[in-house]
Amino acid sequence: MSEDAKQIVFLRGVTKSFAKGGEALTVLHGLDFEVEEGQFLALMGPSGSGKSTLLNLIAGLDVPTAGRVEVAGHDLGALGDGQLAKFRANTLGFVFQSFNLLPVLTAAENVALPLLLTSVPRSERKTRAHTALKVVGLSDRVDHYPRQLSGGQEQRVSIARAIVNDPQIIIADEPTGELDRASADAVLDLLQKLNEELGKTIIMVTHDPRAAKRASSVRELDKGQLS
Amino acid sequence: MTTFGLVLRNALRNKFRSALTILGVALAIVAFIFLRTIITAWNTGADHGAKDRIATRHKLSFVITLPKRYIDVVRQTEGVKGATWANWVGAKDPRNPDNFFASLAVDPESFLEVHHEMKVSEEARQRWFEDRRGAIVGDVLARNMGLKVGDKISLEGTIYPGTFEYQIAGIYEATRRSIDRSQFLIHWDYLNDSLPADRQDQIGWIIARIDDASSSGDISARIDRTFEESDVPTLSMSERQLQVSFLGMLSALLTAVDVISGVILLILALILGNTIAMGVRERQNEFGVLRAIGFLPRHVLAFIMGEAAIVGVAAGILGLAVAYPLVELGMGRFIEENMSAYFPYFRIDVSTYAAALLLSLLLGFIASAIPALRSSRMSVTDALRRVA
Ligand SMILES: Nc1ncnc2c1ncn2[C@@H]1O[C@H](COP(=O)(O)OP(=O)(O)OP(=O)(O)O)[C@@H](O)[C@H]1O
Ligand SMILES: [Mg+2]
Repeated sequence: MSEDAKQIVFLRGVTKSFAKGGEALTVLHGLDFEVEEGQFLALMGPSGSGKSTLLNLIAGLDVPTAGRVEVAGHDLGALGDGQLAKFRANTLGFVFQSFNLLPVLTAAENVALPLLLTSVPRSERKTRAHTALKVVGLSDRVDHYPRQLSGGQEQRVSIARAIVNDPQIIIADEPTGELDRASADAVLDLLQKLNEELGKTIIMVTHDPRAAKRASSVRELDKGQLS
Repeated sequence: MTTFGLVLRNALRNKFRSALTILGVALAIVAFIFLRTIITAWNTGADHGAKDRIATRHKLSFVITLPKRYIDVVRQTEGVKGATWANWVGAKDPRNPDNFFASLAVDPESFLEVHHEMKVSEEARQRWFEDRRGAIVGDVLARNMGLKVGDKISLEGTIYPGTFEYQIAGIYEATRRSIDRSQFLIHWDYLNDSLPADRQDQIGWIIARIDDASSSGDISARIDRTFEESDVPTLSMSERQLQVSFLGMLSALLTAVDVISGVILLILALILGNTIAMGVRERQNEFGVLRAIGFLPRHVLAFIMGEAAIVGVAAGILGLAVAYPLVELGMGRFIEENMSAYFPYFRIDVSTYAAALLLSLLLGFIASAIPALRSSRMSVTDALRRVA
């Protein structure tokens, strides 16, 4: 465990290489990185610098070639695949660049999806999904299918899905990358609100300086090094 | 929304593709049911040969006749309750020469005694016994040829040349499946008297009814031993064995049918597997999302295999629903009427329905196993990278 209990994400000496045609491509070079609880961190950097790779390591979706990753008190290197899945379900909420809602499910059903993994009864799942949609301002769209929503609305539904389990950390990889200015602002407002009012720790990758301004701090990743 | 609801909706998400897949699998299931029914109907036919009857024929062939006096020897044999005989007439209806049916010259009284499962009314029985030109026909054949009691019909002999006129004395039904309901039965005396002296008093085969079905082997051997040293040796066997040997040439064909139904299933699994693999490939990204939010590989596996099972069972049910009217009511009745010598009862067996349904479910599982396993084992980051 990290010495500072307030550090909810704690990376030490993290290296990540990919085997590419026999050659090893090292994306992250012995990275030290931490995020404090309640922080809204914007991670910036040129394309290919390893931002998504870093998020994947924090989320336990990938394993580092070397180094330690601790998140919310868990040493991810010590967890098995099943435990990692459980860790993600309980601790993390994901917001993807391209929304990634299931097209066959309504907004409310998409939001309730993570609850299928819990013992929450069906009626309660519905209530929680509606509450989460209310938080993102989409109470009037619960029965709409993703194709019936605008991009901005889809992204707000996916934020609702990310918070329905009441996770400590929200991980967002370019959440405004596919949105127009107004929709992007609505999404950023929302993330800010989740951070300020509900105390969620947010790690957001973005290319947009205006988005980064909303964060409480900004880190820059370049050629596998943080600045 | 439940997990099953999610799987169901995914199974039906591409309605056109799912409909085509279900239709294709259902058609193959119908073909499977048809082929299986050929086999079961065949086996039932053989199974229903009466076990308490022995047929005795010339040792070498059906076509060689036996002297009529043999019947008395068989009647004296220990264990034999009664015996009768028959000659194959090979008669044809000149108005419809392609209609094949069994025409036998028999001794009416003893024939009905030995074939106790033949149901003939008392009046018909008396009419037949008294009229040398009388004939009784099976109900299936009567319907087929449009015959009713009292009708006169001329038939041409093929084995015994000449045209003979018969009057329908009665129509028989069967209380058990061992009786071919498409026979045309005439008086042996009438045939015999029409023959030149050197061909008279010859019989085609002897049918004996025995006391105890379990000793049919012993009694057969006893009969054959009696005639062993004579000029005309015999071969006796239970009616059931007789049916099997008579239709034995078909067994190779049936093996082929069996193989084909297996091949159909294999093709089916491959087509289904391909469709599933295609659908799954398009959705890797979704499986990546599910895994990211905490679903496990086995959930992904269950989702995909569940979808395939739904498609398989839907196809199975549709196949069954089509097979009953098509195979049993349509083709089955036609086959019973026109090929009753081979398939007196062409009905879909319950076990065939069960097998078809089970197989369609199993096919779904088999066909989806590989794409499901691959998707479930895929790394989450790779899956997420796939843009739908
Ligand atoms: N699974 C992988 N196999 C091989 N190479 C990979 C893999 N994942 C990422 N990379 C490589 O690692 C480098 C960093 O990728 P990453 O996706 O982390 O970049 P990024 O900073 O998120 O870029 P962008 O801003 O374009 O999203 C890239 O050069 C990429 O090609
Ligand atoms: Mg990226």
